[in-house]
Amino acid sequence: MVSCVYIEEEIREHPRTREILKRLGKIPLIEIAHYGEVFNPRAQNFRLQKKNPAIIIARKNKGHVLTAPEGYGLGTPHNYYFSHMLNCVYDCRYCFLQGMFQSAHQILFINYEDFGRQIRETSAQHGKQPVWFFSGYDCDSLAYDPMTRFTDFFVPLIRSIDNAWMELRTKSTQIRSLLAHSPCPRVVTAFSFTDHYSHRKLENSVPPIGKRIKAMQRLMDAGWPTGLRLDPVVYHQDYKAEFTRLLEEIFEHIDPEKLHSVSLGSFRLTRDHFRKATRLYPEEPLFAQELVLNNGIISYPVSQEEEMIGYCETQLMKHIPRHIYQPCEWHG
Amino acid sequence: MARYTGFDTAMLIWVCALHCEAKPVIDYYRLSKSHDDNAFDLYQSDRMICVISGSGKLASAAATAWAAAKYHEHPSIAWINLGTAGAANHAVGSILLVNKVIDPDTERVYYPAVIPRPGLATASCMSLNRPGYDYDQAHLFDMEACGFFNSALRFSSAELTLCIKVISDNRCQQSGRNRQRVSDLIQQHIERIDQQAVSLLEINDEVASREIPAATWQRVMAMARFSQTQKNRLRILLRYLLCRSYSIDNLADKIGTQTSAGKIIDSLEQLSYLDSRKL
Repeated sequence: MVSCVYIEEEIREHPRTREILKRLGKIPLIEIAHYGEVFNPRAQNFRLQKKNPAIIIARKNKGHVLTAPEGYGLGTPHNYYFSHMLNCVYDCRYCFLQGMFQSAHQILFINYEDFGRQIRETSAQHGKQPVWFFSGYDCDSLAYDPMTRFTDFFVPLIRSIDNAWMELRTKSTQIRSLLAHSPCPRVVTAFSFTDHYSHRKLENSVPPIGKRIKAMQRLMDAGWPTGLRLDPVVYHQDYKAEFTRLLEEIFEHIDPEKLHSVSLGSFRLTRDHFRKATRLYPEEPLFAQELVLNNGIISYPVSQEEEMIGYCETQLMKHIPRHIYQPCEWHG
Repeated sequence: MARYTGFDTAMLIWVCALHCEAKPVIDYYRLSKSHDDNAFDLYQSDRMICVISGSGKLASAAATAWAAAKYHEHPSIAWINLGTAGAANHAVGSILLVNKVIDPDTERVYYPAVIPRPGLATASCMSLNRPGYDYDQAHLFDMEACGFFNSALRFSSAELTLCIKVISDNRCQQSGRNRQRVSDLIQQHIERIDQQAVSLLEINDEVASREIPAATWQRVMAMARFSQTQKNRLRILLRYLLCRSYSIDNLADKIGTQTSAGKIIDSLEQLSYLDSRKL
């Protein structure tokens, strides 16, 4: 339940603001000068806010497109990300966004045209080489699409730039807006999954796995490129059986030959994000498992991680062609 | 009523400028006056206190900081600033929850958390240095809220900090100087104010429940000499295991006869690894 809406005074009358407010219905509105006044102060309890986050409607003034962290991407050299939203509507215990910002409020940036301009400029810098833009780094790309109409702006934009590719990464089932467009071969919707057990334990308010597989299938049937992100694989007593079951369920509906890409990675967080998450959720078993620090990254001990990824890769390769597989190297 | 006896409970601290604003709270919760040598008048029960700060933002900030220091050993403190305010567009006697506090002197703005609670409309509030009767803006006007927030937000999060105002004067009607009238205006809303306090206390208890009780911490500290790094690790392990329904007696059994800090941590680590296998 959204608690209230903060709006930057300057964009109070922006057409996109008015549209969003119309969709939100009757809800307390509070005017602010700049989103940082609400989003950045230290005296905020992320965990309490997460139960009833506010929406902050704002303008992003700089840094619309940023270089993606090392290892983030699908093996191509030019990778960028952009965030029309900050924070995710879902509450996954393994997610680095828990430690990323002071606030759990969701920021919606409405100056899409400025993002679009930078995406064009960045694409032009690389001539005809493919340039990837990832939209699901600081948020779920599609979860708020019915409210933000994100895809209505960005899909035609990417379609109009010959060397631009975009990944929409999501755990949602909000594909209606995409389906209203003709498929764009350079817009890949990547669905993230964990096994049923991890989903039940760690993914609060994320739609059921079956519904997400159906959404993926519908997009695929409509001709949209789709990707599969099996990330993170979380250790638990039954992870092997559960992972195998997940793959069987997915590939009962999804044609692997039509998949654009598949990636796989085990649970990992930077030390800072891990510390923050542990402080926020001290009772969480995920953080009480045997984990080790290696080059600033908290993850499973090497032998355990190798065993987990080895097992999962073996199972995965029974279903997909090797050339679409990309191991995750990025550490959130 | 039981008196405050230990540091393990979450506290609710009311900060009111005037005794007449605090009186409905003091009566409703049967708070007793503290006769200790205090810098501010203080009324208390086992889980809440009410501080009378005096008028003005400086006084409010000082009283809030003083109360925070006095009760700092409690695992979590929630705050309510209760008082009267003037307004252009609200009827005398209306009750409002403040969602934005403006200090016109410093231009600082504070945003109390807006957690959906039934029954109270919200409004912004500007804290003036002296009583103002120029009702030309859309804000409420008081003299304390920004001082209160300036201090309270150093000790607690915005989600645990509320400001409730009852309108005492507007363009047509002014009752700010009649003490009995002020008490009556607040008294008529005391059950709605109590609802806010109860819901805040629930959140406060939730926050406090994730902290290690002081007595438990002291008991473990007495078992061995821990370095600061070991204390940090121990705190994480204890918070986890206590949240997972282990009691300190269970844990003491598991630790057994270990007397070195390293071995105590090892045994708690093994316990937490085992416990977390099922996620």
